[in-house]
Amino acid sequence: MNQLNNAFTIFLSLLVEAMPFLLLGVLLSGLLLLFVDEGKLVAAMPRNPILGAFVGSCVGFLFPVCECGNVPVARRLLMQGVPLPVAIGFLLAAPTINPIVMWSTWIAFRDQPEILVLRIVFSLVIATIIGCVFSVQGDPRPILQPAIVRAMPKLEKVDKAPVAEEDKPLLLQSGTFLLGQSGQPRRMDATVLQASLAASTGKKPLPDRLNLLLENTVQELRELGGVLVLGSAIAAAIQVLAPRELILGLGHGPITSIAAMMLLAGLISICSTVDAFFALSFASAFTSGSLLAFLVFGPMIDLKGIGLMLSVFQARAVIYLFALAALLTFLLTLFINLHVS
Amino acid sequence: MSAKYSGANSKGNAWAKAIAFSILDVLAITAWGLLLIKYWVSGSLNLLIHPDYFWLAIVTGVSLVVIGVLKTIQLVWAVKQRVSNRGQARRRSVIPPVAVGQHISLFPPGWSAALLLATAILGLLITPKVFASQTANQRGVSESVTITRSQPQAFRSSQKPEERSLVEWVRMLDVNPEPDQYTGQKVKVQGFVVYPTDSPLPDQYLLLSRFVITCCAADAYPIGLPVKLTSSSSSFPADTWLEVEGQMITETLGGKRQLTIAATSPPKKIPQPKNPYNY
Repeated sequence: MNQLNNAFTIFLSLLVEAMPFLLLGVLLSGLLLLFVDEGKLVAAMPRNPILGAFVGSCVGFLFPVCECGNVPVARRLLMQGVPLPVAIGFLLAAPTINPIVMWSTWIAFRDQPEILVLRIVFSLVIATIIGCVFSVQGDPRPILQPAIVRAMPKLEKVDKAPVAEEDKPLLLQSGTFLLGQSGQPRRMDATVLQASLAASTGKKPLPDRLNLLLENTVQELRELGGVLVLGSAIAAAIQVLAPRELILGLGHGPITSIAAMMLLAGLISICSTVDAFFALSFASAFTSGSLLAFLVFGPMIDLKGIGLMLSVFQARAVIYLFALAALLTFLLTLFINLHVS
Repeated sequence: MSAKYSGANSKGNAWAKAIAFSILDVLAITAWGLLLIKYWVSGSLNLLIHPDYFWLAIVTGVSLVVIGVLKTIQLVWAVKQRVSNRGQARRRSVIPPVAVGQHISLFPPGWSAALLLATAILGLLITPKVFASQTANQRGVSESVTITRSQPQAFRSSQKPEERSLVEWVRMLDVNPEPDQYTGQKVKVQGFVVYPTDSPLPDQYLLLSRFVITCCAADAYPIGLPVKLTSSSSSFPADTWLEVEGQMITETLGGKRQLTIAATSPPKKIPQPKNPYNY
């Protein structure tokens, strides 16, 4: 009973801590549609995979959201037809490459500025590499969830003449596409809604757009909130059931410490805006490389995030993302452990 | 995946279902807003998250309630429209555009909102728990001294020794771990009693602990210093809150030289502080 109550407290504390950032992400993702001409933003994204992944990673600077908040934005960018490398770069690096996270990391590791610098560099490198790897998949649709594919503009059109499509409402573009692609009757669900929200930019009167914004906020809050609840419940259960010493006990050698901190990052699902403070409490016992591994890997992939990512990508793609991110983080931070510190 | 929603109002059933799901959404979001506001008003936010992030939770709570109210207005308006336009095609596709049978999320329709609502209701009913010795043991209180790290902005070594809190002592120790350095300094600290399970202390000793929160309860970690009592520790059960006065000595406990508080008088039992955590 005691343990159950402890688990519930941890569970609620994760939710109370994450909810503001989720709301911020959902609101920002909706506002982005109302006030930013995404057609232009999407068109401005480089088609070159390396450049695209890099630029996508840096877009996080415009949207200071953590990993609970960046999925709705990434999902919507994909629906707008943003190239896959850009979206992947954004998904992986945006939670780290943003002013709030940099600020909190600097506060926490003021006496070790290299942690902040390396955190940024490693996140950019890993996101760019993975973005490039995924650019080999020319057509992103097979690795995305069907609901997103249905809301996407036709890929070829965007590739050929992204700017020319701008003055044409997206809903019209995708109308025939919807029926042809899935053969199902069109339903008013969140994706269609978002497509019409996108189409409404600058077209419909403000009250209608605000109505759509409200509807979009409610739908995304509900859908992503449900996943967040589930992820936090799992994270809390593991924290209570597995003794922390077990995880910490692994943390002595250069290799095991990295593995342990990456495991912890995955389990604890802590928000990237605040994870630096958490890592700080391990700073004297753990190698710098392993702290970096925690700070680089955690925002990219954790229990909670996997749930959110599954709302964008097919399970197979999430597994590849996970494996690549883990491997690259491990190699880079091991290099730090063995050759730098 | 059952009901088909054709986008027109030919199926009154689907429409009613959509309204029902919308109401569930409103309830879930509003309940979460109320939960956050309740934590704020009742002062129990500090059991969950670091005070630096209170404002985030408060703003979010108010925002969620506002979103819930706006959505309710939208729904009422939609129902009115529907009633007055009965038999005509619905004019606006916006209302009620709830997903029936088709979701981005991994859940069947309604589950996500129901999960959120259930969590919020549980949160409203169950008071968050203050972590105690059981959690301290589980999280490894005996090793805590070595995993704590000084936070330079909070570090003031010029303080009088007897004004340092338990956490400040542990942070000092982290910077300068030699226990002899502190021998003879006066101590007056508060904390709760822990009897470590992995390295039991002799009868006359107990471990005085505090939890430190860096972000939220999920990362609360215990810190502590051993206390040498003037008599047996049996009159101080685990989780009792104490104020200990004494001076610093060095003891060898469990084969390790450790900074220890030698109580000069029997510790005073105190009520659990309003804010049991340190930051």
